[in-house]
Amino acid sequence: MTTPDRDSSIARNQAFLAGARACLPLSPGVLLFGMVCGAAAAGAGLTPGQSFALSWMVFAGSSQIVATQLFSVGAPAWVIVLTGWIVNLRFMMYSATLAQQFRGESARVRWLAGYLLTDQAFAVTLARVLDSRRDIPWFYLGIAATLWLLWQVASLGGIYLGARVPANWSMDFVIALTFIGVLAPLLRDRAMAAAAVSGGLTSVFLVLPLKLNLMAAACIGAAVGIGMETLWPKSRPGA
Amino acid sequence: MAEIATWGVIAALGVATFATRLSFLALLGEGELPRWLRRILHYVPPAILAAIIAPQLLAGAPGLGASFDGPRCAAALAGFAVAYFTRSTFASIAVGMAVLWGLTLL
Repeated sequence: MTTPDRDSSIARNQAFLAGARACLPLSPGVLLFGMVCGAAAAGAGLTPGQSFALSWMVFAGSSQIVATQLFSVGAPAWVIVLTGWIVNLRFMMYSATLAQQFRGESARVRWLAGYLLTDQAFAVTLARVLDSRRDIPWFYLGIAATLWLLWQVASLGGIYLGARVPANWSMDFVIALTFIGVLAPLLRDRAMAAAAVSGGLTSVFLVLPLKLNLMAAACIGAAVGIGMETLWPKSRPGA
Repeated sequence: MAEIATWGVIAALGVATFATRLSFLALLGEGELPRWLRRILHYVPPAILAAIIAPQLLAGAPGLGASFDGPRCAAALAGFAVAYFTRSTFASIAVGMAVLWGLTLL
């Protein structure tokens, strides 16, 4: 005999474990990116404690790399915080979409869900929402918490092992390739491609004081993307 | 940067990022992002990712006289093609690094 409480706690456990398992196909990429982020932070002169703090306080690879690069070129504090934060503004979109799934949950669960929010956890959970599944919050926590754990382990690995990799292996290029791997699948329409090309050209040819180049590239790229979409609606199918 | 300032930057970026993630989850989903904001947020990731990648393809420093590094550009193109068609970051890194090592050893 089971009580409704017990049934719902079994369903929650199952959803959580299903989420943790859904993380498996993503894990090679996540582990590699996490190691790169840890190694880059340690290589930029941050202490091991600071490098690890980036991974658990910020917990967002692209933003960690941006902050690391700006630290290493001696950018002012406010530029590092602002540029690193702009990279993470997309989480606001994810938060708005996820919130609808978390209406019945306690504040504690919603805060935890917010802390653990990442691109991958969001994308996999969204696919499940579109399949009309009902166990979304605990599935999400399962995948998000597993990704968090992998990220922390990989970061520590990178922080302590990164310095042992010989410099002539050009491992710094792994960062560029990681970002290429994240960028390429985004470029499914001309407006997105235009935003990327203008952002890239800005950072190559425009040199600004205070290391504001990345911020300028984000603004110019977004303006070009929106301009394309407005002037030429066909450049963004489905919009 | 002084160590205490570095800690301040990391903590400030962490708090700002957490607040962004929590925004709508804490508000219980009451509300939608305005359309103009959604459009901006949609185009920022490709722009900033490309802005991080592009300077790594240069032979020297960025600027009006910037010149591109052949092997790095070839490796980036190979990695891009793999990522575009397979969506696998892992495969993209493996192929891109193989091309870079192959061309620099030649």
